[in-house]
Parts: sequence; C-alpha cells; structure tokens
Amino acid sequence: MRMTPTVIIVGILALLAAITLTVVYWPYATRDITPSEIFRERSSIENTGRKIYLQNGCVYCHSQSIRSIDWGHGAERIAQSGDYIADEPIALGSQRTGVDLSQEGGEHPDDWHIAHFINPRYTRPSSIMPPFQWLAMERIETLTRYIQGLGLKDADRRMERQIYWKQEAIKAYEAGPEQNAKWLSEIVPEGWRNIPNPYPTTDASLHRGQKIYQNFCIGCHGPIGDGMGPAQPWIYPPPLNFTILKDRGISGGILYYQIMNGITGSAMPYFKRDLESQKIWEVGDYVAVYFINQSDANTEPRGIDAAWEP
Amino acid sequence: MSNEVTESISSDNPTAKAFTLTSAFWFAAATSLGMIGAGYLIAPDFMANIEYIHFGRVRPMHINAVLFGFVTPGLLAAAFYYFPRLLRTELFSQKLGVFSAIFWNITVAAGIIGISIGHTQGREYAELPWIVDIMVVICFALVVFNILMTIRQRKESILFVSIWYTTAAVVLTSITYCLGNVIWKPDTGALLGIPDAIVLWFYGHNIFGLLLTPMGLAVAYYVLPIATRSPLYSHTLSLLGFWSLIIVYTHIGTHHLLQVPVPTWLKTISIVDSVAMVIPVMIVLINLWYTVKGKLGDIHADIGAKFVFTGTIYYFFVNIQGSMMALPHVQRITHFNNWVVGHAHIGVLGFAGVTALGGLYFILPRITGKPLYSKFLADVQYWLVLIGITGFALVLTTVGLIQGNAWYNGETLYRTLPEIQPYYILRASLGTLIMIGAYIGLYNVIRSLYFNRGASI
Ligand code: HEC
Ligand code: HEC
Ligand code: HEM
Repeated sequence: MRMTPTVIIVGILALLAAITLTVVYWPYATRDITPSEIFRERSSIENTGRKIYLQNGCVYCHSQSIRSIDWGHGAERIAQSGDYIADEPIALGSQRTGVDLSQEGGEHPDDWHIAHFINPRYTRPSSIMPPFQWLAMERIETLTRYIQGLGLKDADRRMERQIYWKQEAIKAYEAGPEQNAKWLSEIVPEGWRNIPNPYPTTDASLHRGQKIYQNFCIGCHGPIGDGMGPAQPWIYPPPLNFTILKDRGISGGILYYQIMNGITGSAMPYFKRDLESQKIWEVGDYVAVYFINQSDANTEPRGIDAAWEP
Repeated sequence: MSNEVTESISSDNPTAKAFTLTSAFWFAAATSLGMIGAGYLIAPDFMANIEYIHFGRVRPMHINAVLFGFVTPGLLAAAFYYFPRLLRTELFSQKLGVFSAIFWNITVAAGIIGISIGHTQGREYAELPWIVDIMVVICFALVVFNILMTIRQRKESILFVSIWYTTAAVVLTSITYCLGNVIWKPDTGALLGIPDAIVLWFYGHNIFGLLLTPMGLAVAYYVLPIATRSPLYSHTLSLLGFWSLIIVYTHIGTHHLLQVPVPTWLKTISIVDSVAMVIPVMIVLINLWYTVKGKLGDIHADIGAKFVFTGTIYYFFVNIQGSMMALPHVQRITHFNNWVVGHAHIGVLGFAGVTALGGLYFILPRITGKPLYSKFLADVQYWLVLIGITGFALVLTTVGLIQGNAWYNGETLYRTLPEIQPYYILRASLGTLIMIGAYIGLYNVIRSLYFNRGASI
C-alpha cells in the first residue's frame, strides 16, 4: 500500500467519521432521557452551588456514581442514567480520593458541612480534604445547599428528617443539661438502654478506645471530652460535653447505640460503617471511663463471657 | 532513510527550537504544580487558604500543563525537525512555525491562569474555558497548515511512517478536541447527562490515543533507525500498526465508564477492543524492537535514543496494563483509586513524556550544530526521571491495590486514609526527583540553545 497524503487524510477522516458516528453520535441519538424515580430539577441556589463545586475541583476527589459493588457512602442507591438528565456537564468524577457524593444530601445536617468545609479535620480528624474556609461563608453556604440536594428526592426526604430532629435536639439542648441528657437517653430504643457494656475494661481496650477517639471524635468532643473541639463554634447544638452525663444513668448500651446510629438532626454522625462492633464498645467505654468517669463495663446482666475475655 | 540528503536543508530551525524551549519550560512548570498537589495530599493544611493553587485547581493546572505544555510541544519540536528532513524540503514557513510556538505558549498560560482563577468547565481533560479552547484549536490549525503545506512542497515522494503518524495526530486531534470540548456550546462546553460522559471520554481517551501515542511513536520511528543506522524492520508492519491504531484506539474510550450507566453494547465494544489493542501495540513494538535488535550499544551511546527506547518499553507496559484494566473484574479493584493515577503517569510520562525528552535531546545537537551543552546532565535527568516514574508506577499501584481491595471488602474510605498516608509521602519524594530532573533539563536546554560555547560539529 502506498501512503500518499490523500490516502492518509481521506483514510483517517473516514475512519474517524465512522467511529464517531458509531460510538458517540449513536449513543447520543438513542439516549434515554426518562427521569429516574428520584429525579427532580435543582433549585437555582443548588445550581449556583454546583458551579462552585465544579470551579474548585471537588470533582477530582469525589465521584458521583454508585456501583453495585459499593458499601460506603450512598451505597443504598446504584446510579441510573435517569439521575443525571439535568447535569451539564455531568460530574461523575474518576477518582475517589474522597467519598462518593451522589447521595450526600441529608447524610449530615448543615452545621456538620459548614464545620467540615471550614476545615475537614474539625469533623473528620484524619481527613486529607483541603480546607475551604477561603471560600467565605456565603459561598460555603451555597455549596452546602448543593451538597444537601445530592440524591435529589431521596436527599429531600433525608433533609426533612434532619430538619425535624434538629429542632428537637435544639429544644432539648436549650432546656439545660439535665433535660438534654434525658432526651438523649429517651431517643435510644428501650431495649438498648438497659444493656451494660458486656465486655471488661482493660488497659489494652482503653488504649484502643483512645486511638479511635483521636481518629474519629476529637475534633468535636475535644481532647478532654468537654465538647470544645475545634468544630465547636460551627455546630449547634454543640458537641456533647460528656462530663454532664455523670450520674444520669448512661449505660454502655446507650453509648453503643448513639455511636453506632448517630443522632440524626445533630452533628453527631453514625459510625456503624466506619467502626466494627468491638471498636464501638471500646470507644464507648473509653468515653465512659475517662470523660463520664463512670463505666458499667462487665456488670450484670452481661450474659456468658466471650471466649477472648481474660 | 533520507540521511544522506540532509545537507541540502538548512539546519537553522527556529520553530523546532521554540517548541523545544516551550516543552522544557512547561515540564519544569508542570512538575512544580504537580508537587504542590502532592503536598496537599500529605499535608492538606499546608498552603491551606491560597485560593489560586488550591488542590482542586492545581490538579487540572498540572494536567493541562503536562499535556499541552510539556508533552505535545516536545513531540512537535521533533516533528518540526524531521518533517523537512524526511520530506527533503524546507519547512513551509518558519515564521508561521515560530508564531505558532509563541501562540501555543500564550494559550497554555492563558488556560492555566484561567483555571487558577476559577475559570474551568469542570470536565476532566476539557477544563479549558471556551475562549482558550478556540485558541487551542487555532494552535492545532496553524500546525496542521504548516505541515500539510510542507508535505505539499516535498521533494521526497515517499512518506515515511513518522509523517503518517504526526499528520494523523494533529489533524484528528483538531477535530476530536472540538467534539470533546463541545465547542459549539460556549457557556457550558458540555452535553446533558450521560452522553456528556461518553463524548468526554471519547475525547479524553483520544488525547492519549490520537495525540500523544501517534506523535510519540512517530518520534520513535524516526529516532531509532537513525541512531542504530538500521533500516526499518518492516513496511508491512508499519502499515498495519498505523491503521490498526487509528481504528482500534479511537473507539474504546467508554472503558473509562464501565461502572456507569452507559449502554451495555458500548461497554462491550470498548472492553473487547481494549484487549484487541494488543495488536496495534505489539505490531509497532515488534517493528521497532526488531529494527534495533542487536544494536543496543548504539542506543546507549545516544542520549536521545536512550530516552526514546526507554519510552517504547514503557509503551509496552502501559498498554498491557491498560488492556487488563479494561476487564470489568479487574476494574472492580482498580477503578476510582491511585492505580489509575499510576497508569496515567506510566503512559503520559513514562511513554509519551520520556519519548518527547528523547526527541529533544536527539534534535538539539542537530538544530544547534553543536554538541549538547552537557551530556552528563542529560544522563542525570534520564536517571532521575526513570527512577521517579518507575517508583511512581510501583507506589501508586500499591496504593491503588490497598484502596481498591479495602473498599471491595467493605472498609470505608475514611478508614483507609491513614493506611495510604506513607505512600503519598513516597510519591511526593519521587515527584521531587522528577521535578529536579525537569529543572536540570530546562537548564541544559537553555544552555544548549543559547549559551553553548562548545565547538560546532
Ligand atoms: C484532595 C481531595 C479532595 C478535594 C479537592 C475535596 N475533597 Fe471532599 N473529601 C475528601 C476526603 C478524603 C474526604 C473523606 C474524609 C472527610 O470526610 O473529610 C472528603 C469528604 C467530603 C465530604 C463528606 C462526606 C461525608 O459525609 O463524610 C463532603 C460533603 C465533601 N468532601 C465535599 C467536598 C466539596 C464540596 C469539595 C469541593 C469544594 C471537596 N469535597 C473537595 C477529599 C477531597
Ligand atoms: C461532628 C461532630 C461530632 C463528632 C465527630 C462526634 N460527635 Fe458525638 N456528638 C456530637 C453532637 C453534636 C452530639 C449531640 C449533642 C446534643 O444533642 O446535645 C453528640 C453526642 C454524642 C453522644 C451521645 C451521648 C448520649 O448520652 O446519648 C455520644 C455517646 C457521642 N457523641 C460519642 C461520640 C464518639 C465516640 C465519637 C467518635 C467516634 C463522636 N461522638 C464523634 C458531635 C460529634
Ligand atoms: C492498550 C492501550 C491502553 C488501554 C487499553 C488503556 C486502558 C485504560 C483504562 C481502562 C483506563 C480507565 C481506568 C479506570 O478509570 O478505571 C485508562 C485510563 C488512563 N489511561 Fe490508558 N490505556 C491504554 C494506554 C494508554 C496510554 C498509551 C496512555 C498515555 C499515553 C494512557 C493514559 C491514560 C490516562 C492518563 C488515564 C487516566 C484517565 C483518568 O484521568 O481517569 N493509556 N486507560
């Protein structure tokens, strides 16, 4: 075959045209624009927030596409093409340096996000997300509106829940420590409230509990458990001061349940994805021993001792 | 080859010089930007509130500087040298060539400053704002015009393989760039919904497949036979390699979207033909490696050829790896994490970048008429880049496996952060080597071009 300029130019253009028609134009022409069941239009403030998101390269660290093999953030909903029909550009992302955000709306209340944007290490001590304090409050709030809309109708349902429980949490907090502690216990299901921590306190378990506390809790509850971590100024009701729980009947079961499930409406996140059962008991016991100064570990009823107990 | 006829063509080639300098400069700039990014991943509060170099901005600045500042101009510098040689004619217009190099720099600078102050379209590899998109297209159009006119006035009737590849690269990229940047929609530069992802990755993938790869191969096809004084192994393989690359590489961009709701038939095509990429790749490598068979001594003796040959080895690895990554079962682990970043660096730096550097060092003595300012420094740069990129490949692949397996087993991303921290530190150290290499290269290029007191060859 003799490669003349004509052969090259005509050949490559013909091939490119054929390929573009097949793998770009055809999928475009047959695209499915049926909205999925969670689809709704974004509000104008959410759209402005989305611009801030794109402008500042959040997309290089955050995907917005859940796969069937995912377990973490947003794994309740596998992405469908109908979720994206209003996205221009689409912001699927190709890296998960941070978590997937496609279902982030309502994961946390607004105050958590604000504190997190000011400095991610305030709410997530070992985060490597850079701080966004420099965006200034107005843009941070706009961005938060976009983030809270991620997941569209599902996000709206989660947000309603957050807003309702936020009011309840504020009411309880403003009624004073006594009332707040009572409310916090009452939102825990009856069965859990009466369970003491079934495992004994040991040096090793406290040591592990401390490590978990430092990696997960310290930014809010603070190094001495008084709720004065660096996130405190942005969070309302503020992170719990554990010392107020003394003599207020806080069982190991309550601590476990609250850490596992989080307190929807308050900034207190759930940790059941991050921490396995043993770790939750141990960080709970660490809080009980060091900050509340009162632990029911290994008291009755504790069932049969586990095989590993010393 | 047209070696014996070269005397008739003036060796003064300001266009090649200008692109050489462009490439060397942006290599240093781009790696510096990359280091800032790597710094953020280790210490996110370091330089915390400096908007203009914040991670989310510095990352696309780095990538655009690498692709459009360092690698493409580097490969073009060599092209502007071998086009006249291979066609036995002067370049159609040196004035136009120099102008296009200057305009190229303005474009890259405008794009990077634009992203830095928040003007981005937010699409990976298509970030540049519309006005800069137009400038990029003009850059390509100027180059296309210059080389097509050079081809037209050629005195050599046979077109060598390098000419095919480079012509195809610049002509097709002018088109895919417009498509991928949805240039007819200036405000967003994007389509709606899933088709946007499809067109984006069609284009993004072709930045590697239809720009860097063919231009890199063109340099290899030019440099290796000359350095080893051997005829090309097979014309048939050259033909097969060329056409199969254009056919296969162009339509597999959807392998970037295997885990996203795009039509299944499109995924199937992209998977099957990503594996079929072995054909164009191995044809070219067999052709090149058989050409230099038994002559590795000659390659070792020429620093330019040494870079280029190393590039072909990385070309082998990146493609074998790529074909594996396109398998859905493999991608369950490798997608979304640093494995892909490793692959990207092996491809863009290990293959295309190293080849571009080889091109620069190969042409420098030939366009200045003097030996390289320092062969020693070039060798130092070779080793710094080689150690850096090999280290990158190992470290990033390791991190990718840690992340991918942890996630697959249900560990949360947050839990993996402390685990991968040490690797980010290693990565930044290796990046430092590459960056130092880039500055050494810049110094060497400037000295060779302008302040070289060595005797003329
Ligand atoms: C360097 C990469 C990086 C960049 C850039 C980045 N993030 Fe993050 N992001 C992370 C990491 C890592 C996490 C997980 C740790 C944490 O929660 O801070 C995270 C977590 C988050 C979370 C919390 C998820 C949750 O519920 O726990 C949100 C919301 C978020 N990022 C939004 C953003 C937005 C909005 C931007 C852009 C303004 C952004 N991120 C930029 C890395 C990044
Ligand atoms: C983002 C901030 C934040 C983080 C991080 C956080 N907490 Fe909380 N925590 C709160 C807030 C806010 C409350 C509830 C305050 C209120 O409603 O008065 C709370 C409440 C609690 C309670 C409820 C006590 C009760 O009596 O019901 C426990 C237990 C607790 N946190 C433990 C932890 C542990 C352990 C961690 C780390 C694994 C942690 N928290 C991390 C903010 C946080
Ligand atoms: C046989 C050839 C190749 C195949 C089949 C291939 C395959 C792939 C696949 C499947 C991905 C997506 C990975 C993922 O997101 O999980 C990818 C990404 C990438 N490839 Fe290749 N590759 C090949 C060669 C190359 C070459 C030669 C280069 C560079 C010149 C290159 C550069 C890149 C880059 C930069 C990315 C990252 C894109 C991103 O930012 O997500 N590849 N490749």
